[in-house]
Amino acid sequence: MKNRLKVLRAERDWSQEELAKQLGVSRQTINAIETEKYDPSLPLALKMGRLFELCVEKIFELDEKKPN
Amino acid sequence: MLTAIFHKKRKAAEAAAKAIEAAGGSIEQTRRVYGTRLLVRGALWASVYLLSRGLLELNTLPPAARVVIALLPAPFFVYYLWTWMKGVGEMDELERRIELEALGFAFPAFIVFLMTLGLLDLAITLSPDDFSLHHIWAMMPLFYFAGLWRAKKRYQ
Repeated sequence: MKNRLKVLRAERDWSQEELAKQLGVSRQTINAIETEKYDPSLPLALKMGRLFELCVEKIFELDEKKPN
Repeated sequence: MLTAIFHKKRKAAEAAAKAIEAAGGSIEQTRRVYGTRLLVRGALWASVYLLSRGLLELNTLPPAARVVIALLPAPFFVYYLWTWMKGVGEMDELERRIELEALGFAFPAFIVFLMTLGLLDLAITLSPDDFSLHHIWAMMPLFYFAGLWRAKKRYQ
């Protein structure tokens, strides 16, 4: 899954550590999501949506090329 | 218009700062406490295990006492495992996935290892001094750590 997490975080001038704290996850998790090595669970994606005041589809996008 | 945007951004930044402050680094703190507990309880279990093994290898005690000594490390290990399981419950979703993948690697890999040892034992009769039950169980954590390393590397 593609995502805009890094861009959204940079727009708010937050470090990975700060974002991780706000979402209640580790910095490693934020890094793995940003580098698209890990797809977050639905509750975490919704939390991100709430934090960035965006709907989930504005943050995450299905990568049609990648098989599930 | 610009002032309104600036004001809104500043408010958002303030709210974010408050949220960070409220979190107060609780994840790191929880992780440190968990790590220390795991280390202390692991050391406790290892000490009791080594003591039991040492006493059993002396071969001077009556059978009943030997059985009690042989069973002695088990509750300490269960206590250690309980700490580990509690720690897994407090992990975030990626860390839990890493643990699951580590176990998912360790379990089948250990089955392959045991199966191969069993067949080798039939083929050439392995020395019990190197391949008895009290040696082989200690290999299982090695498979777990190999799985943990593999899974961590995957998400780095």
